[in-house]
Amino acid sequence: MKTAMIVKQYSQRARLALVNRKAQKVKLLLLGQHMNDGLVAKLILIFLLSIVAYLYLQPLFYMISTMLKSLADLLDPTVQWIPRKVDWGNLDNAYAGLHYASSLVHTLTLAVVPSLISILVCSLTGYALARLQFPGKTVFFALIFMTFLIPPQIIIIPLYVIYSKLGWLDTPLVFIVPALFGQGLKSALFILIFRQFFLSLPKALEEAAMLDGASLFRLFFRIILPLSVPACLVVFLFSFVWHWNEGYLSSMFLSHDFMPLSLRLSNLETEIFGQAPTMEMLAVNPVTEGTKMAGAFLIVFPPLLVYMIAQRWFVEGVERTGIVD
Amino acid sequence: MNPARLRRQAKIRYRWRSRGQAYLFMLPWMIGFCVFMAFPIGWSLYLAFQKVNLTGSGSFAYRFVGLQNFKDALLKDNEYPIQLLTFFQQMILMLPIIIVFSLLVSLMLNQKFKGRFVYRAIFFLPVVFSTGQVLTELFQQGAGNVPFLTQYGVDGYIKDNFSPSTAAMMTQLLGMMILILWSSGVQILIFIAGFQTIPKAIYEAVRIDGASPWASFWKITLPGIKPFIGLNLLYTMVDLFTFPFNPVMEQIRRNMFNVSTGYGYASALAWFYFLLIVVMIALILWFLNRTGRNKEEWA
Repeated sequence: MKTAMIVKQYSQRARLALVNRKAQKVKLLLLGQHMNDGLVAKLILIFLLSIVAYLYLQPLFYMISTMLKSLADLLDPTVQWIPRKVDWGNLDNAYAGLHYASSLVHTLTLAVVPSLISILVCSLTGYALARLQFPGKTVFFALIFMTFLIPPQIIIIPLYVIYSKLGWLDTPLVFIVPALFGQGLKSALFILIFRQFFLSLPKALEEAAMLDGASLFRLFFRIILPLSVPACLVVFLFSFVWHWNEGYLSSMFLSHDFMPLSLRLSNLETEIFGQAPTMEMLAVNPVTEGTKMAGAFLIVFPPLLVYMIAQRWFVEGVERTGIVD
Repeated sequence: MNPARLRRQAKIRYRWRSRGQAYLFMLPWMIGFCVFMAFPIGWSLYLAFQKVNLTGSGSFAYRFVGLQNFKDALLKDNEYPIQLLTFFQQMILMLPIIIVFSLLVSLMLNQKFKGRFVYRAIFFLPVVFSTGQVLTELFQQGAGNVPFLTQYGVDGYIKDNFSPSTAAMMTQLLGMMILILWSSGVQILIFIAGFQTIPKAIYEAVRIDGASPWASFWKITLPGIKPFIGLNLLYTMVDLFTFPFNPVMEQIRRNMFNVSTGYGYASALAWFYFLLIVVMIALILWFLNRTGRNKEEWA
């Protein structure tokens, strides 16, 4: 009799313990050990991120939606996001107005050639800063840092005069030649990225190559550069994108014979409607809205495509090149 | 010829050979620096104290005017000082917005959850397509504002509580809020990379000691990424130099091609602007240095 009681008691306790443990498991799953690694926290996190991401992408959605609206839809305030009928006319207009084919070639030249040159020159400089000993190294380092901080407004006037004397205005040379000498767009940053990457390579490699009697140049081009493909990729992608989006310098140095897409966009209205755009910031003309957005889309589309293909290296490469240690 | 001296000579020769090679590596950059950096900087400084006239044959006629250009810019010019003020007001407001936003987003992206990489890709997108002209178009069509800010009457609140000029500037900033946030792609990356530099073991240790995530953020994460905050401040500033809505840029350009003012005056404008920037950069660098763990290596 007594034993039965005890057994019953114990089984009850065991059941309770089991329920308790289950409850704990659920709690652990939901809240995690420290409130920030449970399901609830994750859901809140994803929810927040999604809202911010939506806000972030909104202008892009706006661009695409406005681009596909016909004039009637643009004038109709009840049509907000989804056009009543998809209208490709804006794209055609913008394509013609931007002189898309030729400007695309120009912009590509402007983006690819200096980027490739930058990789070579900046990696040479970065290697010297990372691994070689020479007097005045710290001075050079400080100067490179300084070139990064100098606002372009300071040197734009002398550069304009120099380029016009050399007859480089309106040619891609204004971007290519400075890149060749390590002074291209954000070159200082690329030099620092390369330096950082080379510092993270094991020294033993270079020592071994030197012992085997390789010259410095051979060592660099045969061993170091092939090893630094990830850093080269990151630099190339950044450089490509920045050159593509560059507006300030190109608006100064390039005018009519050699026009990248970004400049064409500012002239789009004049181009299509034969009238100069009004200077009032907020005077929006619904007639041209769609066409302008189509133009903007045509400009951002190629780099977007590149990014979709290369985004894995973009984001991971930045972390892997040890840019920041 | 004693062998010791021979050896010393050989050593010196070897050292100079390796130095020569190092200078060869640096040569392209050195040439470029002299031609495209040092020379233009010197020249533009010289121009800033001159009155420059274009003669008919396309060459320049200089006339030394001392500080006249600067005096004109600050006292006579009725646009430049105002635009400088607007720019720096904007900058003071934009810097913290961008830094705080990128810090929050990078903190969120640093957590482990499925689909993290999709979000990372999204937040890096604007770096890919923020062409100045495209941004300007978007802003003109009012696509850059945050919808719920206008819905809840934030702009009305601002108009009531600030002076008209400040309010105008703040509403303008609100109108391009998203475009401002768009320029934080690189900063987010820098922060994420910065988080990787803090050893995991520290977090485990404080966790065992019973610190909440909240406390560990304030006590460990924030001090740990202080250098990266300074770095991001620097990067953001450099980025804002050529921000498409920077009024000073336009001003300099207009004066360059203006016959009555010309290159000398435009140079003076640029230099004064630069002086103010140097002051700001110096402040940031001082802040960086104060954090003790002075890291010069950065992305």
